[in-house]
Amino acid sequence: MSYRYWKRSSRCRIGGDRTRPSLSIGIGQVARFLVLVLAAGMLAGNCPVVEAQDSEPNLESLEERAFKEAAALVAPSVVRIETVGGLDRVGNVLTGTAATTGVIVSSDGEIITSSFNFVSDPASILVTLMDGRRFPARIVSNDRSKMLTLLKVEANGLRPAIAARTSSFRVGQWSIAMGRTYDFKTPNVSVGIVSALHRIWGKAVQTDAKVSPVNYGGPLVDIHGRVIGVLVPLSPDKDDETAGVEWYDSGIGFAIPLQDVYETLDRLRTGEDLHPGLLGITFRVASRYSGQPTIDRVRYNSPAGDAGLQSDDILKELDGKPVSRLAQARQILGTKYAGESVKVSVQRGEETVGAEVTLVAKLEPYEPAFLGVLPARFPDDDPQSPPGVRLRYVFDQGPAAEAGLSADDRIVKFNGDDVEDETSLLDMVGRLRPGDSAIVDFQRNDEPMQANLTLAEVPEEILGRLKTSPIPSAGTAEDQDEPQPTGRITDKLAGFEQSYWAYVPDDYNPRYEYGLMVWVHPGGDTLEGTIYKSFREVCDSRGIILVAPKAQKVNGWTAEEGEFVRSLVEVFESRYNIDANRVFLHGFASGAQFSYQLAFKYRELFRGVVGIAAPPLVRPPENLPQFRLQILMMCGDKDNLFPLVERTTAGLRSMKFPVSFVRIPGHGHQYPGAEQVEQIGIWADQLDRI
Amino acid sequence: MRSGHHDFVDEFRPTSRACWIVAISILFWLPVRGEAQSSSDAINDVLPRVVKIYGAGGLRNLEAYGTGFLVSPEGHIATVWSHVLDNFAVTVVLNDGRRFEASVLGFEPQLDLAVLKLDEENLELPYFDVNNSITAGPGSFVLGFSNMFNVAAGDEPVSVIHGVIAAKTELITRRGTYESPYDGEVYIVDAATNNSGAAGGVLTTRDGQLLGMIGKELRNAGSNTWVNYAVPIQELGHAIEQIISGQFDNEPTEDPATSEDSLQVSPLNFGLVLIPDVINRTPAYIEAVLPKSPAARAGIQPDDLVLFVNDELVDSCRSFRQELSRLELGDELRLVLRRGEQLITVELPIEQQANVP
Repeated sequence: MSYRYWKRSSRCRIGGDRTRPSLSIGIGQVARFLVLVLAAGMLAGNCPVVEAQDSEPNLESLEERAFKEAAALVAPSVVRIETVGGLDRVGNVLTGTAATTGVIVSSDGEIITSSFNFVSDPASILVTLMDGRRFPARIVSNDRSKMLTLLKVEANGLRPAIAARTSSFRVGQWSIAMGRTYDFKTPNVSVGIVSALHRIWGKAVQTDAKVSPVNYGGPLVDIHGRVIGVLVPLSPDKDDETAGVEWYDSGIGFAIPLQDVYETLDRLRTGEDLHPGLLGITFRVASRYSGQPTIDRVRYNSPAGDAGLQSDDILKELDGKPVSRLAQARQILGTKYAGESVKVSVQRGEETVGAEVTLVAKLEPYEPAFLGVLPARFPDDDPQSPPGVRLRYVFDQGPAAEAGLSADDRIVKFNGDDVEDETSLLDMVGRLRPGDSAIVDFQRNDEPMQANLTLAEVPEEILGRLKTSPIPSAGTAEDQDEPQPTGRITDKLAGFEQSYWAYVPDDYNPRYEYGLMVWVHPGGDTLEGTIYKSFREVCDSRGIILVAPKAQKVNGWTAEEGEFVRSLVEVFESRYNIDANRVFLHGFASGAQFSYQLAFKYRELFRGVVGIAAPPLVRPPENLPQFRLQILMMCGDKDNLFPLVERTTAGLRSMKFPVSFVRIPGHGHQYPGAEQVEQIGIWADQLDRI
Repeated sequence: MRSGHHDFVDEFRPTSRACWIVAISILFWLPVRGEAQSSSDAINDVLPRVVKIYGAGGLRNLEAYGTGFLVSPEGHIATVWSHVLDNFAVTVVLNDGRRFEASVLGFEPQLDLAVLKLDEENLELPYFDVNNSITAGPGSFVLGFSNMFNVAAGDEPVSVIHGVIAAKTELITRRGTYESPYDGEVYIVDAATNNSGAAGGVLTTRDGQLLGMIGKELRNAGSNTWVNYAVPIQELGHAIEQIISGQFDNEPTEDPATSEDSLQVSPLNFGLVLIPDVINRTPAYIEAVLPKSPAARAGIQPDDLVLFVNDELVDSCRSFRQELSRLELGDELRLVLRRGEQLITVELPIEQQANVP
């Protein structure tokens, strides 16, 4: 679109208003003024202060005028979006009811906007044009990578926005964020600069103009009235639909280049959602910015697996561009959609292997394999313990039992590799899938033996009984530098308003690794007495420490209190000898819902969750080998929520989480009795199963 | 919806409209006529007219400080009506560090406005003319002056920040969106003007002309975001002068929500049966239309979705009922309905309804 066109359209807007003829001054003239003023500055040479000539407009007022004109030029392409019906809350984010914004991308009614504007899943969407005409809109498709949504209204003769070329973007150039949310006649504006290019793994331009729900979906405009991009909330580390909203109005805002949107428009038009392209590999690096990108795992049935990529391959090139850090790989893959392909080159030993890989939208969920053993628990520093894993228990009918292994055998090799300890055995088994076969070398009474077996799925049933693991006596107190308190404790955590209570077995032995149960009370009742009475004996016999944070307001947890729970767990892990594989959450009713939320959020911390009488409210994350999570759900069959809880079990299982479900016959919506508490104890006592 | 307050505002509209046109030309021609000054000159002009206020508070996140601005040479100060003034006596710190005791002269709760008077007499202070007619539109550069977060803790002047006008809009645009007694027009600013202690500060044009008073911290319930805004000085000037002169218009105030004029009609009065209202935002779908009812005569059909009542978006059954309950005799009722992919506008008569069971 030429400058001439712009000038004309600018006149069109103002033509009828004779009181303001001077406004029809063109952008070109303003730009010329700017050049003049700047030139004057340069000519002044040594004199740093340039006095504005009294008879000339100053730079600030010219800029201001240019902003207003740029906004006015884009205004006809900026529409107001309103929604009707829908959810109040998505995750921790309250969804808005206010109007949002979109940008016209075709004359026949296509509008691109931020997917955030529809997180509430509204029943109906309405679009209002600048001239006040209103249309019902339908969602055509979504770009799940760049978090955009394409809408369609039945209208013609609309003015699509003009995209600024991505090659013209410069850090430091003016940028104007626009929305049409306060008023349908006049867009709202915020002025800033372009802060950075290629942000969020190459997807977005960053601006310091104020970006928030009042302009998500609106355009970021340059001083010439061309659209740099479409404003969206984004976060470099999270990819859910509300990610990045917490940065609203902070001076960190993002826009997806409109040129990139136009390039994908044909694909969006087909009605198929675009998804980020996945390769199916994870890397073995300390951080994205250090260490060679060495492949750790290749997912089963993934594009990388099909292309023959293997563990320990070192990524060298993507699409012909050298890659030496994981962050570079993400930058190149960040803009790729599922269905697109990428040339991968890896170093395997001395040779270089290349492959062309077609990315996919969805990977087959990770499914943990099961050997069917419980490792024996040793005090950390037992000098008697040779390498390998001594078995505490072998699961009946599990792969190990079928192959003839029994308790007290010591596994020393798995598929020919030495087994150092239970962590390395878990890792080796976790790299295979149910149905894969394996060879296990083990020792029975110092006699070497070997077994061939086929790995199974993690069983759903809870063992009827499980012998407790002996806890050696605490020994003399002089072993302990600083004895930690035992018994029932009530305290506060430094830096938090909330308090907590805890129970540490009286005969706590710091040389034994304890499980940690985090009790998350339901809203309105801490159930402190019930839980203490029910679990004291279980904690003593099965080596579990109980810690129970209290919500600041007893009537319920707020999402922010997750940080308190996290800190509390970390403090207990530093004070006591805790087995990281046996840290789990336990909650009832709304406490169960918060437990699931915590388990899904702090994945590095929790290995299990026991939820009673409530299903998870938030969508579970993808099951990942590095964040093992086992789930126990219980519900009385007289509880109104029973069918819902039962259904959720199936959903979690389809995501390949190991889920045990206990139906409590004749029980309503109350905390269950001793029988179920015993089951929780057994389940918790085998969280370290392999 | 009519109230005393609105009449009060209306009184000013014709003038402000005329002024707006003048202001536009002024904004445009000022630089050419050489009357513009640079931002830093403007700041030096404005700072002596802005004061820090210290009063009650200091407990439970209620700050004991605020901002005000001089509106007369004798030391009248306009500020926000807030808990800081609870003791009716406050300490005022001028730009140059001078401290004075001041008392509350009067306040206007509808505007969240209070006027103080320095106890000291015979002062000659720089001040803002509250009768100015300066306005600004989206994209205009603005400066905000306030005692935000009490960072100007000693004798120094208040903080200055810059931004642009994001929008000029009514706080009432969507009912129930803001909790503020004031529901007229405000300037929305794209800078973080509204912070602790900032209320009562001023928003000016780039060249230091008073645009408005920074309001209290306010959350937009529609978008769940904090709003940065200022109340235009044209909305406050009259009330400030009245408080200073001690003369008050005798205007009845009434709460529109409890107005006796409102008919308290419900969807059933028109023969509309909504689908069961199960969640907070159940969309206002029509379940059934009673035969021979006004709705039936207007052609409304089951499964139609009600979107607008007199241009007010209804996003749920609940807000539809609320909008209807506000109707008064003589109002029009225009509904915009979605039927499939079409929008349909219907008008329904409002009569003194007999009580429909």
